[in-house]
Amino acid sequence: MIQVEGLTKLYGEFAAVTDLSFAVQPGEVLGLVGPNGAGKTTTLRCLSGIIPPTRGVIRICGSALAEDPISAKRQLAFFSDEPRLFDYLTLDQHLAFTARIYQVANYRDIARPLLEELEISDKINLLPGELSRGMKQKLAIACGLLHSPKVIFFDEPLTGLDPIGIRRMKNSILKRAREGAAIIISSHLLHLLEEVCSHVLIVKGGRKVIDGRLEDVRHKFAEESVDANLEEVFFRATGEPESKP
Amino acid sequence: MRALLYLQYQAFINRQASRLKRLKKPKYLIGGIAGGLYFYFYFFRFVFGAGGHRRATFDFSPEHLQLVQALAASALLVIVLLAWLIPHGRAALMFTEAEVNFLFPAPISRRNLIHFKLLKSQIAILFTTLFLTLITRRFGAAGSGWTRAFGWWVILSTLNLHFLGSSFARTMLLERGISNWKRRILVLALLAAFVSVVVVWSRHAGDSLSLPNIEDFPALKEYFRRLTSTGPAPYLLYPFRLVVRPFFAHGATQFLLLLGPALALMLLHYLWVIRANVAFEEASVDLSRRIAERMTAARSGNLQPRPTKAKAPPFRLSPTGSPAVALLWKNLIAAGQMFSLRIWVLLLCSLLPMMFVLASSFGSLHFSYALGFGAMMVLIWSLIIGPQLLRQDFRHDLPIVDVLKTFPMRGWQVVFGELLAPTAILTFLQWFLIAVAMVFLTRLPDVGGLAFESRFSVALGIAVVIPMLNLVLLIIPNAAVLLFPGWFQTGREGPHGIEATGQRLIFMLGQVLIFVVALIPAGAGAFVVFLPFIYWKQYLFGVPVASIAFAAVLAIEAAIAIFALGRIFERFDLSAEA
Repeated sequence: MIQVEGLTKLYGEFAAVTDLSFAVQPGEVLGLVGPNGAGKTTTLRCLSGIIPPTRGVIRICGSALAEDPISAKRQLAFFSDEPRLFDYLTLDQHLAFTARIYQVANYRDIARPLLEELEISDKINLLPGELSRGMKQKLAIACGLLHSPKVIFFDEPLTGLDPIGIRRMKNSILKRAREGAAIIISSHLLHLLEEVCSHVLIVKGGRKVIDGRLEDVRHKFAEESVDANLEEVFFRATGEPESKP
Repeated sequence: MRALLYLQYQAFINRQASRLKRLKKPKYLIGGIAGGLYFYFYFFRFVFGAGGHRRATFDFSPEHLQLVQALAASALLVIVLLAWLIPHGRAALMFTEAEVNFLFPAPISRRNLIHFKLLKSQIAILFTTLFLTLITRRFGAAGSGWTRAFGWWVILSTLNLHFLGSSFARTMLLERGISNWKRRILVLALLAAFVSVVVVWSRHAGDSLSLPNIEDFPALKEYFRRLTSTGPAPYLLYPFRLVVRPFFAHGATQFLLLLGPALALMLLHYLWVIRANVAFEEASVDLSRRIAERMTAARSGNLQPRPTKAKAPPFRLSPTGSPAVALLWKNLIAAGQMFSLRIWVLLLCSLLPMMFVLASSFGSLHFSYALGFGAMMVLIWSLIIGPQLLRQDFRHDLPIVDVLKTFPMRGWQVVFGELLAPTAILTFLQWFLIAVAMVFLTRLPDVGGLAFESRFSVALGIAVVIPMLNLVLLIIPNAAVLLFPGWFQTGREGPHGIEATGQRLIFMLGQVLIFVVALIPAGAGAFVVFLPFIYWKQYLFGVPVASIAFAAVLAIEAAIAIFALGRIFERFDLSAEA
């Protein structure tokens, strides 16, 4: 579903991502983990076609992003940490606009249950400026899911959400995965990733440190017989000093 | 207070240092040089005697000086009156959020905060003073540049203190239960009383002070001069005259003599402000929050105020069809309510008949001619200024280009879609103007009467060309955005000052050059098509047909440019610009 081979992104002399390769299959949720400046956001931005990679091949549902960007982009949705909305479009107008961009003929039928699931069906005539941050996040999600993407990227999806919002977001991610979507989540909230991810990819300095099934990675970094939790895995894998209270 | 001075000084120094550092980048350096040259040749060489060559300056005779001073004092009176009439909020001093967070909880007295605010406003006042001095000297005001600059400073500083004082006074009135409307009625009543006194006095003054015919300009001037120099009006205008007099001083000695009373008035204002015991903190916190929100919006590319009311879409957007139309639809909503199809139809159906009625009721050709000629002038003006004003395209969407890049659209589709809204708005406006000109421009000087067929033929020709002209004109700045996105950063981080002016000048010249180059093949094509019609003397048919050829060549050029820009958009790497 998502295939990345030798992804490299250079900013002038600086290599933000170097020779990164991995794959995510349908139904899998990959946690993208790394310290600040590890290249997580750059990776996600390359995968969603926002910035062109310097080298490497990205395939989304079999379509190479560089050669056939339209087919690839039709299958994906990218959610940034800050909801990116148009100030002057109402919630309903956002949906109409997104439907036209993605050619979703029956978007009203899809939008109705989606808005109810996200509990924003009564806000359709409001502008983003009239919505709370959580509501804006929900609107961005509704727009992103309107075309039923098979590949979903989340960049810090829980920023600014309250505990209820966090719970709902987790459930929503798991639901999409059960429905067969391939999902990548970049987050510093390791306990969240531990709850929702089936796989993990740890990057540092733009390079892959380790990837694989979460259980396997935890087992690999376990000291003695007990599996390590993701936080311990992170510190051990990245070689960061672990200061304990 | 020393800490506040340090903050102000260091902020100024750091800001200038970062601007100087920015000049290492060629785009700012070139802009800075171009801007510097522009300011030197357009303004500076006329100020402070620089450049040796002085423009002819105008000087006022004593009567004229009296009149101009009275006019300036009256203008100041109006500004001050507005400061008492319009505002409705409580006194709020403008601080940044950082200043609020650092200074408000700190052990700093309210008086010191006001001093800090006054000091901060002096920087803006000094820049405005410099700018206004440049403007007034540029347009030939006589006298020393220094006295003019000091004159402006006195006016602006006194006004600034008055605005602050009046905001404190308004707050005090509110705290004492005098609502905004009561205050306004009181101010208007005082004004009405004074106007009545002046009117009554002028009636009693006899024929020597009767209102002359409005077309008799010299008599009108003399009437105003006498009205403001005799009777009760000079007493009302006296404090305002004190403020403006130093600006009009002849020579340093007179300036110093006139400066004394003006500074005394400024000192009184200062004491008024500093002694006012009004709580401004809460309103200031709210104001700083609103400003911070506006700045955040500007940084994300939204320079327009955040919309507070949902706008009806210009048309129903079906979920299937060309995705470029979705961008047109979105950008028309962004442009505001004025640009919906319904409004345009209403405009056409109401304004045109109204103009007919007006033209026929005046019964004079002059009115029709003025209307038609005015429409033509606005049409030409809209071609020049329109693409700069209507920016519902890449210039508006540059900060969300990452969102656009995720859309499953070809690059050319995005470019085309982004160009559609301003093109459509401008075209509809210009078609309306063409219709007005065609209907009312029934004769031209040195040409005589214009037959309806001729007018229709030319109007049709222009109407055919207009959309493509707009498209080409809008492609140029949008191409600049995609080719040099760093030059189009918005908000506080964007370029300011001389280098920004220089950048704009370079772009403007580039746009004119490219536009002229684009017109050459179109003009040549139209000429070739028009030749047979000249031979057959069928000009009425020739003009629209040649216009179609002209528009077709422009359309081909536009298509090539859109496809090329599409390729650039597909490879566009905003991260490289960061």
